[in-house]
Amino acid sequence: MKLSDRIQDDVVILEPKGKIMGGPDASLLHDKLYEYIEKNQKRVVIDLAQVDWMNSTGLGILISGYTTLRNNQGELKLANVTDKIQSLLTITKLVTVFETHDSVEDAIKSFER
Amino acid sequence: MDAELVKTLLHFVVGGFLVFLAITVVRDNFGSRLNRATGGVLFFAGLGPLAVAIDSIMQQPAPGTGGSAMYNLYHMWELFFPTLVVFSWYFPVDRLREFRHPRFRYFVFIPQVIHLILVLFFFDIDRLLVTVSASEAQGGFSGALMRPFAYVLQIMLLLIGYIISNQAAIFGSINLLYVAVAVYFLESGRRLQTNPRLVPQTEAMVWAVRLGIGLYVAGLLGSLLAASTVTEEVREAIFLAAALVGTVFVVYAIVRHQFLDVRLVFRQSLIYTVTSAALVGLYIVIGVRVTEFTRPLFGERAEIVGYILIILMLLLFQPISNWIDGAIRSMFMRTRSDHRNIIERFSRDIISVFDPTELRRKIEDTMKTAMLVEKVFFVLYDDEIGEYAILPSDDYARRTIVRRDDMMLRGINLLDRPTSYASLADYGEGSSLADTLTELRVKLILPMKDTEHLLGFLALTAKVAGYRYSPEDYNLLGVLSNQMVSALTNARLYVDSLERIRLQEEVTMARQIQLDLLPSQPPSLPCSVICAVSEPSRTVGGDFYDFIQIDGRSRVGIVIADASGKGMPAALLIAQIQAIIHSEVNNGNSIAAMLRNMNKQIALSTSSEKYVTLFYGELDRETGEFEYANAGHNYPILVRSNGDIELLEIGGPVIGAFPFMEYQSTRVGLSPGDVMFFFTDGLSEAMNEMGQEYGEQRIRDFVRSNRHLEPDDLMKGILDDVRAFDPSTPPQDDTTIITLKMTTRGAVLDERQVQDIR
Repeated sequence: MKLSDRIQDDVVILEPKGKIMGGPDASLLHDKLYEYIEKNQKRVVIDLAQVDWMNSTGLGILISGYTTLRNNQGELKLANVTDKIQSLLTITKLVTVFETHDSVEDAIKSFER
Repeated sequence: MDAELVKTLLHFVVGGFLVFLAITVVRDNFGSRLNRATGGVLFFAGLGPLAVAIDSIMQQPAPGTGGSAMYNLYHMWELFFPTLVVFSWYFPVDRLREFRHPRFRYFVFIPQVIHLILVLFFFDIDRLLVTVSASEAQGGFSGALMRPFAYVLQIMLLLIGYIISNQAAIFGSINLLYVAVAVYFLESGRRLQTNPRLVPQTEAMVWAVRLGIGLYVAGLLGSLLAASTVTEEVREAIFLAAALVGTVFVVYAIVRHQFLDVRLVFRQSLIYTVTSAALVGLYIVIGVRVTEFTRPLFGERAEIVGYILIILMLLLFQPISNWIDGAIRSMFMRTRSDHRNIIERFSRDIISVFDPTELRRKIEDTMKTAMLVEKVFFVLYDDEIGEYAILPSDDYARRTIVRRDDMMLRGINLLDRPTSYASLADYGEGSSLADTLTELRVKLILPMKDTEHLLGFLALTAKVAGYRYSPEDYNLLGVLSNQMVSALTNARLYVDSLERIRLQEEVTMARQIQLDLLPSQPPSLPCSVICAVSEPSRTVGGDFYDFIQIDGRSRVGIVIADASGKGMPAALLIAQIQAIIHSEVNNGNSIAAMLRNMNKQIALSTSSEKYVTLFYGELDRETGEFEYANAGHNYPILVRSNGDIELLEIGGPVIGAFPFMEYQSTRVGLSPGDVMFFFTDGLSEAMNEMGQEYGEQRIRDFVRSNRHLEPDDLMKGILDDVRAFDPSTPPQDDTTIITLKMTTRGAVLDERQVQDIR
């Protein structure tokens, strides 16, 4: 997994690319989140448009990110969820936990409300 | 050759060699106090025999009779005794460091200097007395001027005269006292010495002093106590022997035990000088005597045979010299301290050492014995803590962490060869490492680098007894550091491999424990046929299934679960799940409450990325009713006998991700011919070479079209189908399947059948 990050309208956009499969991926995302939390940037959107595949460990990484932000009074939202990940979220019934949006812009707008 | 000439020659050779040795020792390392002191001892020891020889050549009266200032220079050699005392303060333990005023050490020379002044300027005391008396008796102005001083002068001269006439007893006693002091310090120093390299050096030097001084004392006491029996010749022979024995032991200590840490070149030239001199001496004796041997055999022609023999000997000189040189060299020079030997021994020693502590001991021993380093400190990168740490030599366990941004550490990182610590002074500012190294009196830094990283470095203090680090030492340390790098790397890899083996053993054990947790066989129920299989991937997996007989009720619990991730964390999580499930079931809680409690316990006791997808259902054997809750698990498939498919998806989120979650359960009625198919994602996510997944739809289709098969055959069939799709062995992920097929609507089980369930 490669991870790029940017800030758009005061919201952190994380863009993982490739497969989210655990191992070093976990610390990569975790470290990045903490980096922003320390800068008091706690509104985060993960853009999953370029994620081809995610296994159960990968889902664990998303859950961990969600918990980390929530414990620091932040919020994590998902955008551009692919079919594969959508099905994973559906089966695990985490769709009720994760807020998903069709585009990054929608996700950013949802913070303003 | 008369006896006088032989004696003179011997004196000359012994004295000359001692002086030569003294000059060479001092020149080898003028900066070292110890070399200067040893040179002084040897020089003054050599002066005695030399003065006798020169005096004899100049046809002066025999020693002891007094007579000339030149002859009395002979007494200069007595400076040997105070020099020996000073030497015993340096070697083998440097006691001068403890002296508050080290310059006071020169005071020990005072008695011998006074003696020298007396014998040089007052040797003809009678003539001085006559001169003084004559001046006093003289009339006129000068006589009047001299008169008041004359008495004082006369008394002083008489006193000096007394001292001179008894000089042998007075200064001999002082010399003996000095000898006693020197022997005391040498002996006590020898006992203090622990360095294995210095012990034999000290022994040899102590023997040199013991034997040399012993002979001298014997000669001196003999002539004092039994002057009538010990002639002058005997006394001189004893003194000469003392000088000779002392010299031999000093040379032995230098050549064999590398006393003074002298360089190889010097030791070799010393051997060459000694062997050549011995051979030349032998040749001279043979040359002088050759006609004596040949005359009885060859008569008149003896002269010619003698010449032929001498020519033959000259031709053979070089080969013989080389042979003797080689023999002595092989006997003496293959010492533990030769650099080539050190390298050979070191690499042999450390190649089989894999224990890091043992390795450090070996390195430290080599530094101390081969290089005479006083103390060695290790600063090494510690894999466990990911930091550099200082390990003091007396206790490797007590380590001090070095900050990674320490300036001195950065400076050392730039080094690629042994470097003096003083030259790193620029990096010392604000560095706590530098403060520590300075406090430890470190003199030399030996960096240890592999191709990319600084593994650490050795910090060496000064060498013992004030020896300095020579350019050869720097070269040797450079070579040793390369060997240390490979040894340290080997040790690290070895520790890693041991750790891997240990982990592998643990994984195997965990795998076995996990297999033991699975039911040995499915329950036999009158209403249905159940079969189950769990195919492990290569490691300890996170799949789990179980059948639970519920006390007092006609229900059987069926659970299938999959923990996120693999390996030990997943296995431990599964073990925890199994324990909670059994306890919850036996508490009689509803399925929804059971999952809620389980989720809370797991979520609060593990990190949020660890979770379990779990399906739990209870089949009522009497009614054929199936109540279940699905906690985020792959939807089990219910294929009705008519081919309709229902997915068992009601429940709640995965277990363990978030602590406060609610679950709901639901019931389905089962009829004969209905098939329930439970599986984990190892089956649905089996992937072929094209990167396509086997997929849930394919599973549903397969189960539906094969619903008429016995559960066993159905299971085997789908496993075969999946393996044909993804032939990788072992499978990429754990694969677990439970198949249940209803045979009747349900029946009451007797006790025996209940027992069979577990």
